[in-house]
Amino acid sequence: MERNRHLTRRRFMSRSASALGIGALGGQLILPAMAQEGAMLTPVGDMVQGMAKDGPYRIAFSNGFSGNSWRAMAIAALEAEAAATPEIAEFVTVDGQGDINKQVNDIEGLINQQFDAILVIANSGSAVAPILRDATNEGIVTAPFNLPVDGTDWSTYVGTDPQKKGASLGKWLSDALGGTGKIVALGGLPGNAYTAAGWAGAQEAMAEGIEVLAFRDAYWEEDRAKVIMADMIAAYPEIDGIWCDGAQVGAGAIKALLDAGRPLVPVTGDDYNGMLKLYDEHKESHPGFDIGLMSEPTWQGIFAMRAAVSLLKGEAVPKQQILEPQIITAANYQDYIRPDLPDGVFTDTSLTDDQLRDIFSA
Amino acid sequence: MRQQAVGRVLRSFGAVWIAVVLLYGISGLISPSMFQLSQVVNILQVASFLGVIALGQVIVILTGGIDLSQAGLITLTNIVATSLMLGQPENIPLAVAVCLVLALLVGLLNGVLVVVVGITPLVATLGVNSILFGAALVYTGGAPRGEAAAAFELLGTGKLLGIPAPTLIWIALAALLFVLTRLTVFGRWLYATGANPVAAKLMGVPVERVTVGAYGLSALMAAFGGLLLTAYIGSPSLGIGNQFLLTSVAAVVVGGAALTGGIGGVLATVGGAIFITELNSFTNIVRVSTGTQFVLQGAIIVLSVIAYRRLSGPAR
Repeated sequence: MERNRHLTRRRFMSRSASALGIGALGGQLILPAMAQEGAMLTPVGDMVQGMAKDGPYRIAFSNGFSGNSWRAMAIAALEAEAAATPEIAEFVTVDGQGDINKQVNDIEGLINQQFDAILVIANSGSAVAPILRDATNEGIVTAPFNLPVDGTDWSTYVGTDPQKKGASLGKWLSDALGGTGKIVALGGLPGNAYTAAGWAGAQEAMAEGIEVLAFRDAYWEEDRAKVIMADMIAAYPEIDGIWCDGAQVGAGAIKALLDAGRPLVPVTGDDYNGMLKLYDEHKESHPGFDIGLMSEPTWQGIFAMRAAVSLLKGEAVPKQQILEPQIITAANYQDYIRPDLPDGVFTDTSLTDDQLRDIFSA
Repeated sequence: MRQQAVGRVLRSFGAVWIAVVLLYGISGLISPSMFQLSQVVNILQVASFLGVIALGQVIVILTGGIDLSQAGLITLTNIVATSLMLGQPENIPLAVAVCLVLALLVGLLNGVLVVVVGITPLVATLGVNSILFGAALVYTGGAPRGEAAAAFELLGTGKLLGIPAPTLIWIALAALLFVLTRLTVFGRWLYATGANPVAAKLMGVPVERVTVGAYGLSALMAAFGGLLLTAYIGSPSLGIGNQFLLTSVAAVVVGGAALTGGIGGVLATVGGAIFITELNSFTNIVRVSTGTQFVLQGAIIVLSVIAYRRLSGPAR
């Protein structure tokens, strides 16, 4: 049974703010980007009933790897949430270092240490499925988020729907070009499921008049994207738009257009600050420049953590909660851009300025 | 006899240049945009990053070693340079100096691990690579900050008389290393060390010092490459060096160098870097799927190495 109850982030934040006893200050503490945009969580599937356990709880996070600012911000968001949740006595993060096997071992270790709940961003959705089943069977609450895990032998999941996101971005780009034009698509690591789903969604959503010149893997790296785009510029005299699922890639592509002295074009991506800065700097001189961005929120783990705590308290939560992030465009990018902070900041954030400065000056 | 003569000529300047021209001709016929002057300039610009890095790799490979720590050093250079520069031109000298000192220390560490501790170069430098990446992670906490100064970015994106600045720097460094390897005593020692370290030692070549020197040069070139990449893109990224872990070795091998040491050269390595970049560029432009792109790149690299070996005479 599909439910359509929406929990807006604003409602969530105001609730957690008052839970902290800072309701009166809430208006000041919450960033505009957090409070104003109505990103939604759609429950999918049946409700899952928790088995009440005595608190306070020990919660662990098995992070697949930690080599970028998105993960750093995701961890910081979880740490802030754990510190602000009285039911949580201990919160630890273990780093899988990008290694599929190491992550399975990590989770095994967390089971042996009898944590009450394990949050996971999986390096491989199939590889961690058996060990999460073991954990669930031992009565541990398991809450994968961000990247899906195969099967249903985990407690609850939180994440975006990459195919739907890709489709929204594709539709935005298609509309921005008035339904006709030539585009280049740039993805992440070769063969990754996230880009594949997003690109599949995008292709279905784009108008027939949109011609795809090329789809290339750009490893979610600015330099890779810039090099590929430079080749595309040489090969195609006309490039009207760029589809990508990460804005580092979009930023690299835009920089290649700038170097080549070509007019800037509509581009998609996520809430990477570097992209917003580029847009802000060049929108005046390049009237054709436009952005259609959708965040992959760094705060999504908070919802996984809250769902885990609810289950531990014996409450019911949805089996899956799908995030529906807002689109960031020319109309509202000013609410997100952080000129004073590094390019690597993902600007749809639950973190305060001070917390961000802390993370980016480690 | 005649074949041997051809082989000698090819060896002296690098048969890879024939491959470079052939690939260029073929790719241009399939995708005419390869023939545009702007695309030639673009390839030379992009090739200069790999080119500078491979210049260091070939020095180490000439001694019979291998340097897999270049990738980690490139990433660390990018991270340190942007975080020290913070977009301000007055910070450029400090940022560059710190990166170069760091590189010398890393080269020294590699050299000591290989020569004094006696660890196999592949294992020693791979370990150092991991340490350098870890250091970049610890230094940034996973969230890199800072950016290149606009004036510094000119080194990566600027042009002089139509030639990209990084290409000019690459040519200058290649000329320097060509002289060093072909016209100096150190150069002869390099080749002697790689060809037969025992014999070289008996002949009075300071094999240990030469080896440490080679790792130092390799690290320096990796740092130069990292700085040029930083100038090209302007921002920090923890994944920026990854792609060079093995492509720098590939450029050297495509250039005809032997991984066993003693055979290879700076000019041929320049050709190797151009060849690999040309190949990437060509497979980017032709309308093939990602999978086909990988297969094509692999097959053409292997074929070119086989052809080189055939042309330049019996394998040694």
